[in-house]
Amino acid sequence: MARYHGFEGSTSRRDFLKLAAAGAASASAGATWRPRKADAKPAQITFMRESSYVKEFDEHFKNVLIPRYQAETGIKIVYEIIAAGGSAVPRTVAIVESKAPVDAGWVQQEWLYREGLLDVSDIAKDVGKQQGGWYSEIEGLSVWEGKWRSVPFGNIGQCMVYRRDWFDQAGITAFPDTWEEFLEAGTKLKKAGHPYGMSMGHGFADNNSWLLPLLWGFGGQVVAKDGKTITLDSAETARAVDYVRKLYKDACLDDCVGWLDPANNKAFLTSQISCTNNAMSILISAKRDLPDMGKVTDHAPNPKGPKGRFHSFVPVTHGIFSHTPDPAAAKHFLRWLMDPKQVAAWYRSAQMYHAPFLHAYDKDEEWNKEPRFKPYQKVLETGKLVSWPAPADRRAGEVVNKWIVIDMFAKACTGTPTKTVIADGVAGLKQIYG
Amino acid sequence: MTSTTAVSVAPTLHAGETIRRSDRRLGIVMLAPALLYIALLVAVPFLLALFLSLTNSSAGSLEFSFVGLQNFENVIASPVFRRALRNTFVFTFVSQLAVIVLGNVLARALMKSFHGKAIARFLILLPWAAPISLATLGWLWIFDSTFSVINWLLKVAGWLGPGQWYYWLGDPTLGMVAVIMIHVWRMLPFSTVILLAGLTSIPNEVREASAIDGAGLFSRIFRIEIPMMKPLLTVAVLFGVVFTFTDMSVVYLLTRGGPYNSTHVLASLAFQEGVLGGDVGRGAAVAIFLVPVLVVLAIFMLRTSRRAEVV
Repeated sequence: MARYHGFEGSTSRRDFLKLAAAGAASASAGATWRPRKADAKPAQITFMRESSYVKEFDEHFKNVLIPRYQAETGIKIVYEIIAAGGSAVPRTVAIVESKAPVDAGWVQQEWLYREGLLDVSDIAKDVGKQQGGWYSEIEGLSVWEGKWRSVPFGNIGQCMVYRRDWFDQAGITAFPDTWEEFLEAGTKLKKAGHPYGMSMGHGFADNNSWLLPLLWGFGGQVVAKDGKTITLDSAETARAVDYVRKLYKDACLDDCVGWLDPANNKAFLTSQISCTNNAMSILISAKRDLPDMGKVTDHAPNPKGPKGRFHSFVPVTHGIFSHTPDPAAAKHFLRWLMDPKQVAAWYRSAQMYHAPFLHAYDKDEEWNKEPRFKPYQKVLETGKLVSWPAPADRRAGEVVNKWIVIDMFAKACTGTPTKTVIADGVAGLKQIYG
Repeated sequence: MTSTTAVSVAPTLHAGETIRRSDRRLGIVMLAPALLYIALLVAVPFLLALFLSLTNSSAGSLEFSFVGLQNFENVIASPVFRRALRNTFVFTFVSQLAVIVLGNVLARALMKSFHGKAIARFLILLPWAAPISLATLGWLWIFDSTFSVINWLLKVAGWLGPGQWYYWLGDPTLGMVAVIMIHVWRMLPFSTVILLAGLTSIPNEVREASAIDGAGLFSRIFRIEIPMMKPLLTVAVLFGVVFTFTDMSVVYLLTRGGPYNSTHVLASLAFQEGVLGGDVGRGAAVAIFLVPVLVVLAIFMLRTSRRAEVV
């Protein structure tokens, strides 16, 4: 395979882009995005973030943190907010590709564009030392080639969310501890008119958050630890696929094979389903808008399989785009943001919706205010990155974003034989891993 | 006399030539912004996509290698791509057929005088003005597994028996039906307006003459109105086909290609591969497959239109 060496020996696609865009260069004459002098204080820093399902979190950032930073430094923070639900990744990729005028932000799925992020090892190490150290699993995402490319923030925990009243009525007094018990309970509940709603569509969180832990719990894995060997085709995977097919048929609402992330929230809050896998946002919404439902909604960890109990992370990290004209200023802001004086209150503003990856908050008093949130704190202990056990690299990200594992289960639910869906999954993986 | 004529004609020719030249210059100046716009926003990205489709370029990465036609080979071998290709044709032709037929019905209705015509016209045009992202949220409720108004109407009408229920977004076929329905709803106002303009441009005398000659409804539509509206109809269909063929918004907002990649069209698959998956080369290869079809369609439609104009 010939390596590309165009444009004065450079191997950069940027060079090609530069040449292709030469005609458009004049159009940027009026742009304000200019490198600043090293000693000059920037007028503003643009910080990009996905909107939170917990509005108090965004409000705290806008109404408390931004004004405080502006008062302390005189630097204006431009807060670019992106709608939640899947638009942040394309936007971030576009920012990196086009070097759009954004300095720093929330960098979901950074495995797609780590080269476009600045080394923030100094901040991550200092914050870790200062606040009890990081949960080790998250380092697999933030640390790349020995350098921290992002500063972890928190995990949007995913647990089982269920209607305690309906479980009680069906004679299920404790939430099922194993996947088999979960199926048994679901069968009873569906017969009683209260099916589960387990997302299996092309969402970004609520599908992976139970299907991957289920696969791992049965002993299946997608790719081995070496990040090369495809291990999906196994007897354990086949057992997991058969289980999900039965769960779907006996316990779930038929529609859930096509659900995107908001669908299960809507179904739960409109009493269509008795259980789903979700963040704590359902309970927060129910307590705020549907108090009666808020009283009977509860959380539980994922059930365990023959190989144990697992959860998958939906991690939130912050990074600095390497094209920022003023890395020092962006770093100063990120360091300031992660200081306990700021970050502790920010975590608490959302009732620990973003479970901190820092051990200093393991016993934070906020966790005691609503005991039903505690399972989300425990997710940090059993949680794995979605690539697990393989490294969280670009190829693992491609597997997630092409929904290869999710589609394997969804197809099985609608009648495709187990062998076929696994073979399709492996074929998809081979296109990525070679 | 002769010399006088020669003297008087020479300055006229010179002035005419100057005007022609300045006209040509003015023409170039007037065309330049449009050409520049097309070059920068269409030609450059197209060439870039062509270039990227021959590489293993990935999102956010600074390096790439040439891989020849490997991306195209991989894409063609993928059942997801073949399904998306088929869906694209189904999506385009079914929705365009529905849009033209329904647009015709609505345009004919709007030609008549009736009470509340202004309100009817406003309501018909409303989908064209509504942002598709907001409209899709409404449609998500219409296709909801429990609250679907379509299901309840079908239940009341007796179409759905006891225990029968449609899960619109959880079934590949119904998912495509849902995508097509929203797209038809969205495109219908444009088509109606174009067809209304076409119908009103046909002189009443022609209709009266055909009535005197004993032409029935179908003869009038197929032998008089459609041939007379052909140039306009061609523009409407061409625009609709190109717009639909390259559209990914409804699929992305409603199903994101699910369940299990069964409702993807080429544009949404290209986005999934190139942006979400980070495989820019492969995404570009998928997108390139739109080009030959669009070129053939454009040539066919423009030739048909030109022939109609000549006739």
